[in-house]
Amino acid sequence: MRDSISVARLGIPAVALVTEEFWPQGDFFANSSGMPEVPRVKLPHPVAGTGEDKMAEVASDITPSIVEFLSS
Amino acid sequence: MSLLDAASEQDALEQLHDLGCTDGLPVVIPTAERVARMVLATGYEGDLVLGVMGPLHGSATIEKVSTAAVMAGCLPDHAPVVVAAVRAVCQPEFDLTEMQATTHCTAPLLIVCGPARHVCGGIASGFGAMGPGHRANASIGRALRLAMINIGGARPGSSDMALHGHPGKFTYCVAEDEENSPFPGLHTTFGYQPEDSAVIVTGAEAPHSTFFTGDRDDPASVEGLLDVIALVMANPGSNNVHLRDGAITVIMNPDHAEVIRRAGLTRQDVQAELARRATISVGTMRRISPSFYSQGMRSGGEDSDDVADDELIHVLKDPNRILLLQAGGSGLYTMVMPSWCAGPHRNAIVHAQIELDQACEVPGMNDLTS
Repeated sequence: MRDSISVARLGIPAVALVTEEFWPQGDFFANSSGMPEVPRVKLPHPVAGTGEDKMAEVASDITPSIVEFLSS
Repeated sequence: MSLLDAASEQDALEQLHDLGCTDGLPVVIPTAERVARMVLATGYEGDLVLGVMGPLHGSATIEKVSTAAVMAGCLPDHAPVVVAAVRAVCQPEFDLTEMQATTHCTAPLLIVCGPARHVCGGIASGFGAMGPGHRANASIGRALRLAMINIGGARPGSSDMALHGHPGKFTYCVAEDEENSPFPGLHTTFGYQPEDSAVIVTGAEAPHSTFFTGDRDDPASVEGLLDVIALVMANPGSNNVHLRDGAITVIMNPDHAEVIRRAGLTRQDVQAELARRATISVGTMRRISPSFYSQGMRSGGEDSDDVADDELIHVLKDPNRILLLQAGGSGLYTMVMPSWCAGPHRNAIVHAQIELDQACEVPGMNDLTS
């Protein structure tokens, strides 16, 4: 979240990828950093260690949202 | 700072619990009068900003820090140490925001050095110094934690994402047993004079007990001591092994420190030996953590495929990242605290001088619960 906020502050389009379990923390960081609307996409939790097939499935599911944020 | 209304102290305590402003234990209610008296004890103006505490980015003013100190049960004598501890953790190199937010269990360990150990309420350095029963240790460490909760906004499961935490997240403060130690005061290694007082802060796991029984008749006894500490430092489950380049704290009891003294080793000698001996094999890392091993080797510019399984990886490149001191009671155990090792600055060791000439005497100030 902090990386995404830092990049967005530089005027570079950014989307944070946040897993379900960390969604409240993402909200907290976005609010405390003064950028409550910073784009973020929700991922299932966990992602790490779930295997290549599952990760590819997650990537495929979320890619349209990322593209949408970056093109809007 | 907003004020709460409550019909009684009991109601106020329940409000503070409900608002998530406590550590789960009862606190001293920070009435305006108690906070004002604690501010006075610091010797500074209430609106002086000591730093910014993330992830909430709250300004750690003297007034807010004093509020945390009152809630923690601090006496005015403890205030200079609390102020120094907050100053230390607010230094960017400590990566407080990331540390508060991490899933790792890390907690700031306060190591108090110099005369403040005696004049700031008697901070324990002997038997059970990191356990219960020592008011100054308990209250000072807790004050920092309550500041991290209420100024820094660390709330479990929403902003503080530690998967388990550890008991040192309630309070984690120890004094160095300088008088009996074979080493000069730890603070002198950070540029302070022996007569200065300072708090050294490192992000630390819970202490790992390290058993060693020496033999005065065996001149090689020190080898066993160094080896067992190095083995614990290279605990394959710790972040130090997986991420490397963090800090490790080693707190020797007086008997183990005596083994070092008899061997004629300085603090620098011991740091160098521990750094040299704390290793893990490439084969073990390939087996237990292939992805982190591969990343670590890549960041070091080496080709992991070209390295044999029996080659050894040093857990620490820099021996100065071993905080070595004496504390605790006489016996068989040294304590080793691995660290988190992450964040933009790798959660660097930080320190701040404890200003003993700022505090002023105020009649009746030692009764903050009145």
